[in-house]
Amino acid sequence: MIFFFLLLVLVLVAQVAELFIPSVPWLYDAHVYIVPVIVFYGAMALPFPLMLALALYAGVLLDALTVQVIGGKVEISAGSSILLYGVLAGIMHGLRPLFARGHWEVHCILSGIFTSLIVLAQYLMITFRRGSFVFTREIWWQIAGPGIVAMLMAPILFWLLQWMGRITAYPYGPERRQFE
Amino acid sequence: MSRTNIIALLIFGAILGYFLSFGPSTTQKFKASVYQMLSPFFTSGSGIKRQITSVRTGLKSLDQLEHENATLQVENRELRATNQGLRDVEHEVNRLRHALNYRERSVFKLIAAEIVARDSSTWWRTVSINRGKRDGIETDMPVVTDIGLVGKTTTVSDGISVVLLISDENCRVAASVEGSREQGIVSGERVTTGLTPLLDLNFLSKQADLKPGQKVYTSGVGGVFPSGLLIGAVKSYRVRELDGQAQLTPTVDLSHLEDVFVVTGRR
Repeated sequence: MIFFFLLLVLVLVAQVAELFIPSVPWLYDAHVYIVPVIVFYGAMALPFPLMLALALYAGVLLDALTVQVIGGKVEISAGSSILLYGVLAGIMHGLRPLFARGHWEVHCILSGIFTSLIVLAQYLMITFRRGSFVFTREIWWQIAGPGIVAMLMAPILFWLLQWMGRITAYPYGPERRQFE
Repeated sequence: MSRTNIIALLIFGAILGYFLSFGPSTTQKFKASVYQMLSPFFTSGSGIKRQITSVRTGLKSLDQLEHENATLQVENRELRATNQGLRDVEHEVNRLRHALNYRERSVFKLIAAEIVARDSSTWWRTVSINRGKRDGIETDMPVVTDIGLVGKTTTVSDGISVVLLISDENCRVAASVEGSREQGIVSGERVTTGLTPLLDLNFLSKQADLKPGQKVYTSGVGGVFPSGLLIGAVKSYRVRELDGQAQLTPTVDLSHLEDVFVVTGRR
């Protein structure tokens, strides 16, 4: 349980930190998203109800910081990030046995792909509202970029979170077969 | 699926449904309350970021010094560090003096604000400022610098407000072009890369034939932005099938904003 609360704190810290991290200029100004990687790790490490709670919490924070109300209209309705996190974390949760066997690489790659999927979903929603469905090279890179950054960050973050799990005596992790 | 999991899923679904049912005003209130809750993090985060930037700049100077003169390395380090500190102070004094002058000579009632955070999302161009309802700020108030237009406030909590920048596609400003009778709507581009985002001036006449460098000001139509605020300068002009479109370079460097003013009315 301590580990779950630790993840909640980390999600909050990461969400605020994202506001101060500059975008990556050599990757078409791709933004750095840390929260999805933490949520996806949580999806693998936590039991189903706690995974949903973490996805809900991260989704609420993301909605609060990204949803824009302009001229009395909402572009992306509140709750959409909760739904996105819920579905993607659910898929990740389904792949727990792979992680328990020590296959980190699949989840690192998936963390990147899912991060890009969140950005893509946001883009599709605003495109639907604003009209003119366009996909330029810059747009593709701004969707793929955060995923690539997340994929590169994932091994380090996973290792750190794994370490935190150990020091808080959380009984789950790769090479530990009791959950299989 | 176990019973616990089903219950958890039902609770998740109920909360999700609750959030999805939010209307614009509820969303605005929800967003404002979360911003208010996070405001201490914003302020302290902004301070930490400044310190990190300052340290990084100092280290760059040290590197240069090592190359320049190995024998006077230690002495030079001290001098450089002192200079760096003084330069920061000088920069701040100049900045504040500049801001104060503008505030005094402006025809608008202005509230000075500092940018505490930038939007981390890919598709929106916003910044957060350290002024809110308790300072008299409301939604849809223009935000400017002494150089020109920055954007408008959207979400306002007690101590923090979100400013939608003119480089955002959703920030639409009625504009007129200097030296012509042309009027149009300025908005940002959906995707911008690089430090200088460009703006689009749409709905011009096909005969407009604007020249690079012509200045574009707010026309005052629409009620949000008062007339006469400088938006940017024409970079290029092209004729489309139905109208003319100009690309503008914003006058204000939106990527390096530090201080802004919220226009609360006229004097």
